[in-house]
Order: sequence, then structure tokens, then C-alpha cells
Amino acid sequence: MTNRRNILKGAAAAGALGTFGVGYAGTVKKIAKGKWSGDVPRNEHVTGNSLPPEYSVDPLTGDVIPNPDQAMSYTMCIGCTTMCGVRVRVDKKNNKVLRVTGNPYSPMSTDPFIPYESSVAESFAAMAQAGKGNGLANRSTACGRGNAVLQQVDNPRRVLKPLKRVGPRGSGKWEAISFEQLVEEVVEGGNLFGEGNVAGLREIRDLETPAVPGAPEFGPRANRLVWMNCVDDGRDNFVLRWLKQSFGSNNFTRHGSYCGGAYRSGSGAMFGDFKAMPHAKPDFLNAEFIIFAGTAPGNAGNPFKRVGNLIAKARTDENLSYVVIDPILNNAQNAPSGERSKWVPIKPGTDGAMAMAMMRWMFENDRIDHAYLSQPGAEAAKAAGEANWSNATHLVIVEAGHKRYGHCLRGSDMGLEIAGEAYSEADPYMIASDAGPTPVAGAPAPLFFEGVAETAQGPVAVKTALTLLRDEAMRKTIDAYSADCGIPADTLVGLAKEFTSHGRKAAVNSHGGMMGGSGFYNAYSLVMLNTLIGNLNWKGGTMIAGGWFPDNKGPAYDVAKFPGMVKAKGLPFGRNVPYEKTTEFKTKKAAGKPFPADGPWYPNAPGLATEWISSLANGYPYHAEALVFRNTNPVYGVPGIAHLVDKLKDPKVVPLIISIDPFINESSSIADYIVPDSVMYETWGFAKPWGGVWTKATTARWPVIEPKMEKNAEGERVGMETFLIATAKKMGLPGFGDNAIPDAEGNLHPLNRAEDFYIRGAANVAMLGQPVGDATDEDIALSNVARIADDLKAVLKPEEWRKAATIYAKGGRYENIEHAYAGDEATHQFSEPMLVWNEGLGSFRHATTGRHMPGCPTWREAEFADGTKVSDHYPEAEWPVKVMSFKSPLQNSYSVGAKALLRIVAANPVNVGAELAAAHGIKNGDMVRLTTPGGVLESVAVVRDGVAPNTVAIEHGFGHRGFGARDITIDGETWPADSRLAAGVLLNDLGMVDPTREKSGVWVDPVSGTAVRQGLPARIERIG
Amino acid sequence: MEIHELVGAVHDAAWLPWAVQYFFLIAISTTAFLMALPTFVLGNEDGLPRARLALMVAVTTGITAPIALLADLHQPFRFWEFYAYTHTTSWMAWGAWIVPVYVGGVIAFAWALHRPALHAMGQENWRFAWVFRWLALGGETNWFVIPLGLITGAAALGILTYTGMEVMIVRARPLWNTPLLPLQFAATGFVGALGMMLMLERVLDHSKTLEVRLNRQLVFALAVVGGLGAIWFTLARSGLSSAHTEALTSVAGFTVWRMIAIWGGLAIAVPFVIALIQPAHTGWLTGLIAIHAAWMFRWTVFMGGQAVPKVGSGLYDALMPTGVAGLLGVIGTFGLWLFLLIAYTTFMPWTEAGLPRRSAGAPRPARSI
Amino acid sequence: MDTNRRGFLGAIGRVTIGAAASIAGVTEASASEIATGGPESAVKTKDGHTVHWGMVVDLRKCIGCQACTVACIMENDVPEDSFRTHVSVYEVLKDRQDPAMVMLPRLCNHCDDPPCVPVCPVEATFKAENGEVLVDASRCVGCAYCVQACPYDARFINHETQTADKCTFCYHRTQEGLLPACVETCVGGARNFGDLNDPDSEVSRMLRDNEVSVLRPEMHTNPNVYYIGLDEALDGRVAGEAAYHPPLTSNTHHEESL
Ligand SMILES: Nc1nc2c(c(=O)[nH]1)N[C@H]1C(S)=C(S)[C@@H](COP(=O)(O)OP(=O)(O)OC[C@H]3O[C@@H](n4cnc5c(=O)[nH]c(N)nc54)[C@H](O)[C@@H]3O)O[C@H]1N2
Ligand SMILES: Nc1nc2c(c(=O)[nH]1)N[C@H]1C(S)=C(S)[C@@H](COP(=O)(O)OP(=O)(O)OC[C@H]3O[C@@H](n4cnc5c(=O)[nH]c(N)nc54)[C@H](O)[C@@H]3O)O[C@H]1N2
Ligand code: SF4
Ligand code: SF4
Ligand code: SF4
Ligand code: SF4
Ligand code: SF4
Ligand SMILES: [Mo]
Repeated sequence: MTNRRNILKGAAAAGALGTFGVGYAGTVKKIAKGKWSGDVPRNEHVTGNSLPPEYSVDPLTGDVIPNPDQAMSYTMCIGCTTMCGVRVRVDKKNNKVLRVTGNPYSPMSTDPFIPYESSVAESFAAMAQAGKGNGLANRSTACGRGNAVLQQVDNPRRVLKPLKRVGPRGSGKWEAISFEQLVEEVVEGGNLFGEGNVAGLREIRDLETPAVPGAPEFGPRANRLVWMNCVDDGRDNFVLRWLKQSFGSNNFTRHGSYCGGAYRSGSGAMFGDFKAMPHAKPDFLNAEFIIFAGTAPGNAGNPFKRVGNLIAKARTDENLSYVVIDPILNNAQNAPSGERSKWVPIKPGTDGAMAMAMMRWMFENDRIDHAYLSQPGAEAAKAAGEANWSNATHLVIVEAGHKRYGHCLRGSDMGLEIAGEAYSEADPYMIASDAGPTPVAGAPAPLFFEGVAETAQGPVAVKTALTLLRDEAMRKTIDAYSADCGIPADTLVGLAKEFTSHGRKAAVNSHGGMMGGSGFYNAYSLVMLNTLIGNLNWKGGTMIAGGWFPDNKGPAYDVAKFPGMVKAKGLPFGRNVPYEKTTEFKTKKAAGKPFPADGPWYPNAPGLATEWISSLANGYPYHAEALVFRNTNPVYGVPGIAHLVDKLKDPKVVPLIISIDPFINESSSIADYIVPDSVMYETWGFAKPWGGVWTKATTARWPVIEPKMEKNAEGERVGMETFLIATAKKMGLPGFGDNAIPDAEGNLHPLNRAEDFYIRGAANVAMLGQPVGDATDEDIALSNVARIADDLKAVLKPEEWRKAATIYAKGGRYENIEHAYAGDEATHQFSEPMLVWNEGLGSFRHATTGRHMPGCPTWREAEFADGTKVSDHYPEAEWPVKVMSFKSPLQNSYSVGAKALLRIVAANPVNVGAELAAAHGIKNGDMVRLTTPGGVLESVAVVRDGVAPNTVAIEHGFGHRGFGARDITIDGETWPADSRLAAGVLLNDLGMVDPTREKSGVWVDPVSGTAVRQGLPARIERIG
Repeated sequence: MEIHELVGAVHDAAWLPWAVQYFFLIAISTTAFLMALPTFVLGNEDGLPRARLALMVAVTTGITAPIALLADLHQPFRFWEFYAYTHTTSWMAWGAWIVPVYVGGVIAFAWALHRPALHAMGQENWRFAWVFRWLALGGETNWFVIPLGLITGAAALGILTYTGMEVMIVRARPLWNTPLLPLQFAATGFVGALGMMLMLERVLDHSKTLEVRLNRQLVFALAVVGGLGAIWFTLARSGLSSAHTEALTSVAGFTVWRMIAIWGGLAIAVPFVIALIQPAHTGWLTGLIAIHAAWMFRWTVFMGGQAVPKVGSGLYDALMPTGVAGLLGVIGTFGLWLFLLIAYTTFMPWTEAGLPRRSAGAPRPARSI
Repeated sequence: MDTNRRGFLGAIGRVTIGAAASIAGVTEASASEIATGGPESAVKTKDGHTVHWGMVVDLRKCIGCQACTVACIMENDVPEDSFRTHVSVYEVLKDRQDPAMVMLPRLCNHCDDPPCVPVCPVEATFKAENGEVLVDASRCVGCAYCVQACPYDARFINHETQTADKCTFCYHRTQEGLLPACVETCVGGARNFGDLNDPDSEVSRMLRDNEVSVLRPEMHTNPNVYYIGLDEALDGRVAGEAAYHPPLTSNTHHEESL
């Protein structure tokens, strides 16, 4: 053998062995580790790393033996806007939340929930297997998200120190600053970013100078600080105290207008209150038939868990059958329930057509509830044994050109003598009679009438409200409605028949599905179906929330008022008031052309965050000088906002933006300062259920762990309250400091820490009505209220603190379940009439068209602000597809950081209906491009049968750019983007601006001013 | 009912490419050994060149295989528990006992056969003579070759049985749970072993007759594999064996599996045809394809089998190499094998392995290294 | 369909046999195993009978919220990319009628004839006295043979501990009188857990009052997880297209770096 061969051989051998070594290194390492080649779990034997149990319950005695290392505290989840009462399990030593489940006292998490008198130990036992209900009877839960969001507390990208932007807005670069510097800079202003002078809060808080010179209706300059808020997470009272009563700005808004505002406005129209927008929910467990159109019980909805739980129970153990009218099939439907649960696809944004078709059939076949509808007033209703009444029989002025067109005919119109002012409460409504219009009395009235009323000013055409509704319903044939909504005519008739076959044990419910271009009227039409069968306040029908034990209006402390408080005034920034109140109107009217206004106004709407975006960008009605985002994220949540964000990024447009948030979300990304805030279990607050709970319920939140934010110089954790207290003190605002909160005797108490405010609120909650019992030492120990016992004692009087401790030990205050019903009726009833005709709506003039709109439900195609049809701008031939949004059953808008959810569903491919897919050659898993007039989006497609024809449905909660989906640089150190957080797509990127608006604004419903995310005109193509 | 999974979990393959390597190498080793054994036991001088190659294959793959197997354990240090806590209902537990017997047997057998030559080298006057004296354990008798061979042969059959059964009894995996599987493992083992022998013949021996002979045998082995495959399909298609039918339906309809079937068919048919019509000068080609066929069969069975969800829809990703680590495992084991082969051919007087001597002092060929 | 639907009698018969088998056969191993794991012993009740745990999943009540999935992850520290339980969600189209949704919770069935147990070469996995099928991680060699043998994909190799892992029926909780995490937090009330040997338990009542079925009845594993409302088409490997899973991304482990 030659040497060369040997060398070659040797080299080959070495190489071969080396390769083996590389491949085998892992195994060698494992062997070298000995008995445990992996991590040694806590319990080396059968249960691995499972958590040590929180307590044990003796199966023979039922005794609860706590685990001293863990705390079990009842507090609140904010994994979504439901804000359930939950039980948080904390590793005391490491200040770490281990797991979360439900609070068995709380109706949000439990049905049936346990009596409030139960001790904390009993509440623990109620959830144990070793008990009489096997732990199942009062099972209390957190949902998938609720189980996961504890990861948000330890989210590595949480903001824990105040941040100030470096570089331009939205550049993703920040520096950490001290709390004291933060307060100094935002209060005093100055050349904060080297971009020129920025007015500080002190300068803006000017209660004398008008916000808009020459237009006093807009109030003082202080209004130019505007505050955008999420939902009331239980801390809004604190914000409002600072903003309105101390600072003096009237501009506060929540997210309603891009949440489910259209539904709530539609409901508000019927319930007669456009500002509070009451709404009822089906009595899920006792109803026999429910139509869910635009809300998806069990898939989303508020209260998510409670509705999901009740609907599951009702379709299985009770008598409920229900239909989900929805462009996409989702978890709201359930095949194993068979006929009990059905899905009917609908074209997005066309529910009004469906509802009006049902109404038409109901009128034609006289399937409306005469007994209910014919009661013209409370007195008559009472006499007839009705639980509510409506204005169906009231006469409405329909004389074209009449100055009271659209208003109800009143006694004063007829020239009757009245006790008070015309059109006040004392001025009676009129009903039809053989002898002409007569005032409402204690007896039933004719449902239908159309004719002429001989008023003091002459003859005037009038109709009853119900006649007007019938006219609207009869405007189109059932076949025509069917063509509009895509639901076959016989299905529409079937729905109407079924709906009217259960007496008052049937209901219609809706919500997010109304966020289309005709959303307001669609919603009003849907809820009107409930009124036509008179189901309000009835067991098995629709019921309103039972209310709560408020924290700010209690017997112990007045936390809502204080010496020196100011009254904020001025028309709101979102233009949700009559245009006629403005100087602009008066000026234009004087010039002979009052309409159109420079931009839309929405008198029949509540505060409109969506319109604020337009106000901010255009300075109409005026420019804001400072904007606060608190726990809110419109830049992610508002469809079409991308078209306006560049303007918001311009410091000349809005000079100061402060975000109070624990995360750098899409909105805080464009802020100048971020004030770190607490996450869920670290905060104080009180929340009430949004609906669907028939008994009074207050959910209390308290820091069950030590908050993670850094401390300020005074040793307080930085957070919203700390920030507001510090700024108030620096500016010398009233309502904060040593003499801020009066008690029942009028003595003043301090407000220097969050505890000073909330713990007094807890005392109020505890003392209302029949005060709650004192918390025992055992309650305090088991619930770990011991953590805050010193605070309770320090803030409250000796006779109060144990009562407040009860509130925290039990996670709130809950009226017992047996108070839900009084006989066949709801205990807590809505006592105002249902408005078949809403005269505020029927009489107003649309600011940008000058036209009237119907005051009752109707089906109208979507319109832009100038009154032109959307389909004229974007004809179906060019935009044949409709894109719509539905909530993720798992995610919400900010849960993406809770990564346990991403391992279950990691992204949201777009759902394409089978036929549409076939027409475009799209197969499951293909890439598609969606184009709307507002944007383009590319995504993987999932082809499904459960999608309405020509519809693409997008699950909400993905497609993030905040939260770490993009690079974040703080003090020069970069957190690289995590692509998992950016996974998927966001429908709002397809959202549109209204091309007819001179001052740019996103496309909104013309009445309710709410964002449009359902039914965006679109095109689809396969791209791979 | 048409079903579309909207949310579903994905399961990783729990048996990694290491397992493929083990089953591949051990099957080759045992079948190679079984091919070598008759020559040595029955004393067929003509068969020696072929038997020597077979033995070389058996030894080198036989040592590599359990090393790969150990790596498939997630707790490799605990391998001793197999002996401390043998669970008699588990084929794997039995395997744990058979493997060392077999591997020890193969090594001992080869050593015994080489002992006279080792001894002789130890007697010569050169630098490493002491090594060979030590390797020969101070003697040259090897009368125990035959009993050792018989024991090892039995162990080899045991291995073929246990490896086949261990996989075959897994009802949860339809692709594994077919009665023919043990036979297919064995038959493809022969194919792989012959393939390796063909290649080694090309590298080390260059004997056309041997090449032709091996190719002829390969034709036969491939025919058996093809025949088994045909029976498999017939059983599955006809529904005569529900297990086979289930196996087929578990993968039918997936494009990737259609491609695998075609690929597998070609991997059998192509070398079959080549070896049949042109048995000379094609050893490289037929050998490589045969090795690949044996390997690919196992990869498909193990990784492909694990890609079939037991309750979920569609297929999991297991078919594709499981990341860099998995690939390194595959390459690494081949590396070890190559190393052993080089060592074997370098340090072992492998060409001198002859028929066992019943007594000392019989003539032996001259050293050729 | 009827072969895989059992009435109460079938269940009771099975349960009794199962319990007997576990007492006669596997108990010794299990008892010693558990003894090495800690002071726990089998749960007994007031009347002294041995508890046999079982779960009844009422599919009519499942809303697919995955609370169970996440609770299990949190309670049991289930590593990334593995599940002890999860809920499959399907869109189904029966006879070309209206499409409909099925949410199907899956977990270990704690089979009375568990194919995962006999294959274990070292007896690391076993059936405990209350019916749980458990793994003694301190003995498991991580050969994954049991993972292969389970017909339900209910087992996996835990990449942190490098041993076989699976649902334990929350053994550590039931020992203390608590409910399994997934049951405790089940929003729809679909998961029900209790003692099949107690005729008064909620699960026994459910088995009595409903037609129930099990997954993969043809495997004769005798599961202790029962389903109400399970369509045959879904009780085995589910035909049809798999859920969309985005390609995995690599930058997942930089969390610790800052
Ligand atoms: N899982 C989960 N639960 C949540 C939330 C969450 O993010 N995730 N968020 C909470 C919040 S903030 C809210 S406001 C509620 C919202 O709860 P919902 O209002 O119930 O939820 P959405 O998904 O907004 O809309 C309901 C349904 O309307 C459908 N829809 C869309 N367009 C139309 C249409 O034109 N007509 C009809 N008939 N239906 C249509 C959607 O497909 C969807 O299934 O849920 C709360 N609960
Ligand atoms: N396409 C589409 N768009 C939608 C929807 C949809 O279904 N589809 N849904 C709409 C609906 S219903 C709503 S309600 C809106 C919601 O939109 P918004 O109300 O604007 O807010 P969220 O996105 O919920 O953001 C709230 C912010 O609070 C912060 N936060 C989270 N947890 C905590 C905490 O514990 N403490 C504090 N202090 N802050 C916290 C987070 O940074 C989060 O971004 O979005 C709407 N937008
Ligand atoms: S529904 Fe779920 S996420 Fe929302 S608050 Fe309740 S538990 Fe939390
Ligand atoms: S489900 Fe699987 S892992 Fe669980 S006992 Fe049955 S066979 Fe074993
Ligand atoms: S992985 Fe562990 S439990 Fe499973 S069979 Fe192997 S040794 Fe037994
Ligand atoms: S019983 Fe425990 S381990 Fe099993 S799935 Fe439920 S939570 Fe997970
Ligand atoms: S927690 Fe209950 S309702 Fe929710 S997915 Fe799991 S089994 Fe279904
Ligand atoms: Mo919302």
C-alpha cells in the first residue's frame, strides 16, 4: 500500500469520524448529563412540572387546607372587554401569577354563582372535585384568553419606565426617562424634542380663552386636551375626575364607535337614549328561540364567557333553539346540537333587509303583539299587566315641510292646555281615536292610523309610529329583500314564523356585525323585532343588565365630587351634537346656505372616537393641542385609519401625544411619551357587566401581585394614577392632594395615592343598601387580602375596613342569583318606552346633505357622507367581493403577547367561500391578494363552505405592528421584531376613507358615525 | 361527510432519523451476516470472497447500528434500565437483550475467523506486532467459529424478528401494522446488504465474477421485495387484509405518497432491470440504488408513518428531515460506518478470513497488505 | 354506529372489568411507582370504594374556546409545540347540507386497555389505581415507543424533560380533591370529570342518561373519556384537509437576550 493511499485513507477516516462526532455530540452530551438528559422536573416522578396544588380539600370532611406558598385572590381579568371576575393563583415568593380560573361568586364566570354570603373557604370548596357538586355544579372559569393573558404581566416587551421618543414620531426609538422628568416636561412643555415649542398641560389648561376664537360653543382652550380611552376598565372615574372636573376638558371618548357602536346606537334609538344607549340581551337560559344576527355567542360577544356558557347550556339542557345569521360560520354554531343551532349565511351589511322582510311578513300575517304594542303609556301598560310599553300608537307628524316634521304630535300642537312648557314631559303625546287625536291615557290605543290632524296651526298629516314602520316594511317585497340580503325568501318567512311562534320567549340579538355602512338602521331594525313581539323585561325574552353597586356614588365617600371642581363645557370634539348649535351653521344660515356643513355631525350618537381621528387630522371643529391615549389602540382598531396616521404623526397637527399603556401598541408607537401602566391583576378598579347579567354585579380589581412598573422618587409605582396625581399637584388642580375626598359627614380625606381613591370606592360598594358583612380573618388570609390589609386600615375608618375587605376577598359585590326574576318578569326592568319611532332621529337634518332620515327602522343601502350611494362610487361590477371581520374566538386586539394562544392558532389566513374560490381558481393554502378602495392585503387563503357567497371573512386580532412585531429601540438597545407577533393580517388595512368628505375621514355610518368594517367592497385574485 | 380541520395540533415525529439509521444498519448487518454464515459454516471455499465482503458489512454496520439506536433514546444514559426492568410484554425489551448478543456475536465471530491471521501478524517482526498479538489473545485456534456462528445466526434471526415485530404490532400506525412488514424489512435488508457488498466489491475486490454473482443475487432479492410489494398492494386493494387496506387508505390520496410509491417502484425496478440484463460493470450503480432502496424504505416507513396523524387531518411534516440535527444524525451514522470500514480494511487482515480450522497448522495464504 | 356507542350498561360493565384488571394486574407496579413519587395513595371514598376517574365530554356544550388547552399548559408547564390536550375545530358538511361546526376536545383517554403500556420496555408507564395512565419520568428512557403505540396521538416526548409526557388526569390535583385544570375552567361545561365507580357522580349520571361514544372504538382500548354527540366520521382519523399552520419562524428564542 502506498503512503499516498494511506494518507487519503487516514484523511477519509478522520473526516468520517468527525462527521459522526458532530452528529453524535448531542447524544454524548445527554449521556454525560447522567440520569436526566433534560431538565429535572419539579416532581421527578409522575407529575413532572405540574404546579403544586393551590389547596387541598379532604374528600371525607370537605376541609380546605391551603398551600401556604400560593395566594388565591379574586380579582378581574381584562383579557377582553368582558372583565370577568377571576381567581388568580400567585406564587407568593416569586410574585408570579401561576394560573387563572374563575371566581365562583361572579356571574361573569359562573352559572349558577354561589351566594355572596359564602365564606372564602366555602368558595374554594365549591370548586373542588371532592364536594357535593363534584366541583362541576358551580364550576367557575376563565376562557382560553383569560387563561393565557397572565403572560402579559411578564411580557418581556412591557414598558416599565416612562419613555420619551427619540427621533420622529413612530420611528420606534425611545429613551427611558425618570417619572419626575416626565411630569415636568408634559406639564411645563417647552422645546421638548428639538422641533420647536410644545405647549405643556399647564398652558393648555386655560379655562378662560375660548378653544375656538369666535365660536364660544366649543368652550375653553382646556378642551384642546383630548383624551381617548378604551372601554371603562374600572378606572374611568379616576380619569374623568382629573380630566373633566379638575383639568376642565370636556373631551373624553371611548372606543364604542369602532367597537359595536352602530348596534348600540340602533338599540339606543329604540330605547330612547342615544348617549347611554341601553341594550337588552336575550334571556339565554329561558328563551325558546333566538336569532343572533351580527353577534356570535360563544365565538365572541360580551360577556364572552357567560354568553358562551349559557348558550351551551340552553341548547343542551334547556329548550333553546337558535339561528346565527352571519356571513361566516364560526364557533357560535354547534353541529352536535343538531337542529338546536343553525347557521344562515347573509351578505355582509344587509341585516336591515332581513329584518324588514321579517317585519313585512309579521305585519302581513298579523304576527305582532297587539297586547304590548297597543299600550300607549306606563299607566295603560300597568293596567294591562304589561312589563313595558312602546310608542307604537303615538302619532307622528309626517307633513312634508312642516317645522315639526318627524316629531310626535303633542298636546300643545293640538292647542291643548298643558301644565308645563310645550314639548316638555308634561305635554302629552297623542294617539288616534275616532274623534281625532287624543292624549295618551290609561287604555290601549289604535295601532294603525294615517290621516290628518286638525292642529292649532291647521291640518297636518299624521301617522302612528307603527304605521310608519309598516310603511317602511312594505316598501319592498320579501323577494326584493331576499335579493338584497342573500337569504332565500322562504328562509326569511321561516325565520319570521319561528320567531313569532314562541310568544315572548323569543329574541333577536346583535352587535359587531352591525359595523357596516348601513349599520345603524340595520341594528334598529333587528332590535325592533323584539319590540314587535313585546319581549322586553320578560323571562325568556330580552332583559337589561341588573345594574351594579357603583363605587363613586356610595354612602361612605363622595368620590365623584370635591371642593373646587370645575364644570367642563363645550361641544364635543367628535361632533356628536346637532350641527345647528354651531357658529358655522349660524354663519352659513345667515349667508343663506346652511347646508352642507364642512363635515358631518352626528346628533344621534354618543362620543365618537372614529370621528375624533378626522377632527384631529383636520382640525375640524378645532385643533387639539394634546392627545392622550389610555389603554386604547385606535391605530390598530379603526378601519381605514392608516390614511390619516401620517397626519397624526406630524407634531404640527397634534403637538403632544401621551400614551398611558403597559405596551408599545400601534397607537403608543406614535406617541411622544409613554407612561407605563399596570396590567390587569396589578390595578385597582370597579367594573360592571356590559349586559347579560340579570342581577346587580360589581367586579372589583386590586393588585394581587406587586406591580412591576418602576417606582418614582416618592416610592410609588409609576402608573396612570400616579401620573395624574403628580400632574394635578404640579398644576395645582383641585381634587387631588390632602383635602380631596369628602365623606358622608363632609370631612375631607386625601387623594395622594391610587389607594386613597379606590379603597374608598370599595367602602362605597360595600356600604350601599344593606352593607356587606365583615371579612373574617380567615377570608382575609385565604384570599390574600392580607396583602392590602394595611392599606385598607390606613385609608378607611375602623368600622369600614373589614367591609371593604369583603369586597376584595370576594372579588366584588354580587346580588344573589335568585333576584334575577320576579315571577315571570325580570327583577331589574327597563321602564322607559320602546320607540317604534324615534323623533330625534326622524326630525334631524343630516349636516352634510341637509336631508331628513326615517325615524324608524328601515333598510337602506350604504351611503357616504354626501348622501351618495357607496355602490355608485364602487360599483359591484368592479368590486364584486365583500370583505368582513369577525372576532377571533381566541385572540382579542391585544392578547397577541400571550404566546400560549399563538401555539394553538398562529395566524389568521383569510376565509374565502368555496364558490368564490372556485371562480378565481383559489385553492386552500393559496396566496391571494385582496384589494379594496382603501388598501391591499396579501394572505394565505383558507377555502371554506361556511362563508357567504362573494364574501371574504377575516378573523380579528392578528396582523400587528405594535407589541414587538417591529423593532423597538430603548436607550440604544434594540428588541428585534418577533415575527410571531406580526403573524397574519389586519382587515383594517383594507378600511376606507369616505371619498366624498372634503376633510378626510374614514368611512362611517351616516347616523351613528361608527366605523365600517363589515362589507368593504373588494376584489380578490390568486397570486400563488 | 366533508370535513375541514380549522384548528388542529401538529405532532412531531418521536422516532428520529436515528431510528431509521438503526433499522437500516441492523437489517443490513443481520442479512449480510446470514449471507456470510453458510460459507464459513459449511466450508465453501468458492464462496469466500463474497462471504468476506458480507462479513465486513455485517461487522461494520453491526457496530454502528446500536450506536445509532442509543441516540434515539431521549435518556440514553438510562439504557441500563432495559436490563434492570425488562418488561416482557414489550418487543423492544426483548430487543434490548438480543442486540448485544448479536453484535457481540458478530464481532466475536469475525474475530475468531481472523484470529489465525492476527496471530500470524503478531508473530512477525514489525513495529505493531504486539498489537496483533494482543488482538489475537495469544492464540490462533478458532474451532469455536461454528458454534459462535450458529448462536449469532440465531441472534440475527432474532433481530430480524424483533425489529419487524416491534414495528408491526403498533396498531396505532396503520402503515406499520401490516403482517408483511417483518418480511419486507428482511427482504429489503438483503437488498441493502447486497448493495453494500456490490459497492465494496467495486472498491476493494474488482472481481467481475463476484460482481455478476452479487448482481444475480440482487435480482433475486429485488424480485422478492417486488413480490412482497405486489402482495401488499393486492391485499390492500382487494380488502383481503384489513390491516393492509387500512395502511393503504391512510396514505392514499396524498400526492406526496403517490410520488413515494412511484419512487419506491423505480428504486426496485431500475436496479432489477440493470442487474438482470447487464450484471457486469454495473455494480456501482445497482449497489448504490439498492442501498438507497433499503434506506428509503425505512425512511418512508418510519418518518412517513409518523407523518400520518392518528386522529388529526392531513399529514404532519415528519416526512421531511427533522431539522439540521436530524440530518446530522443521518450523515453522522454514515460517517461512523465509513470510519469503521476504513479501519476494518486497514487493520484487519480481512482478505485472509478463511474457513475455520478444526486444528492448528493448516496452510494459510500469504499476507497481502 | 351502534358498535361504538355505548349505553350506561356497557360502560359500567367495562368499568368494573377495568377496575378489576387494574387491581389484579398493574396495580403492584403502579403502587410502588407512585410510592416513589411521593406520599400520595389512591383516592378512596367515604364508602371505601376505589375511585375510577373518567371524563364525559358533551360536545353540544363545547364552544371551542380552548380554555382547557391553555389551562392545561399553565397548570402542567406543557412545553412549546406540545399539548396534553387541545380542541380540534372542524367545519363539516354532511350530505351537502348546511356546513356546521364541531369542536372536539382531545386528551389521553386513560384507557383501561392502554396500548401504550405493554410496549414500554422498562415499565415506566403504568396504570394507576384510580385508572390514570401515568409515566414515571424518573424511569422513562425516552424511547418513545409508547408515543407510537397510543392510537390517539395523546403522548409526546417532552423536550424539556426528555421523557414521555401526557395528560395525567391532573393526578396531582385529584389527589388533593381538586378538579383537573381543564375541567375546572371549561367555559361551555363540556368537560365533566368524576368517579365512574360512584353511581351518583355527575359523570355516571351523564353516562346513564345519554348515548355516548368513544374515540377509535375499533382499537378496543376501553377509554375512560366518553363523548356525547360525537359523529362517527370524527371518531377516528379525521379525513379532509388539515388546518393551516404558518411556516415556523426561527427568531423565537431571543427573549432572554435583553
Ligand atoms: N373571543 C373574543 N371575545 C371577545 C372579544 C374578542 O376580541 N375575542 N372582544 C370583546 C369585544 S370588545 C366585543 S365588542 C365583543 C364583540 O362580540 P360580537 O359582536 O359578538 O363579535 P364580532 O365578531 O365583532 O361580530 C359578531 C359577528 O358578526 C358577524 N358579522 C359581520 N358582518 C356581519 C353582517 O353584516 N351581518 C351579520 N348578521 N353578521 C355579521 C361576524 O362574522 C361575527 O361572527 O366581544 C367581546 N368578546
Ligand atoms: N377589523 C376589526 N377591527 C376592530 C374589531 C374587529 O372585530 N375587527 N373590533 C373592534 C372592537 S369590538 C373594539 S372594542 C376595538 C378595541 O380597540 P381599542 O379599544 O382601541 O383598544 P384595544 O386594541 O383593545 O387596546 C387596548 C390597549 O390597552 C392596553 N392594555 C392591554 N392590557 C392592559 C392592562 O392590563 N392594563 C392597561 N393599563 N392597559 C392594557 C394594550 O396596549 C391594548 O392595546 O377594536 C375594534 N376594531
Ligand atoms: S372573557 Fe376571557 S379574556 Fe375576557 S375578561 Fe373574561 S376571562 Fe378574561
Ligand atoms: S389514550 Fe393513548 S396514552 Fe392515553 S392511555 Fe390510551 S393509549 Fe395510552
Ligand atoms: S418513552 Fe418512556 S414511557 Fe414511553 S415507552 Fe419509552 S420508556 Fe416507556
Ligand atoms: S386532566 Fe390535567 S393534564 Fe389532562 S388534559 Fe386536563 S389539564 Fe391537562
Ligand atoms: S374549555 Fe370547554 S368549552 Fe372551551 S374548548 Fe375546552 S372543552 Fe370546549
Ligand atoms: Mo368591542
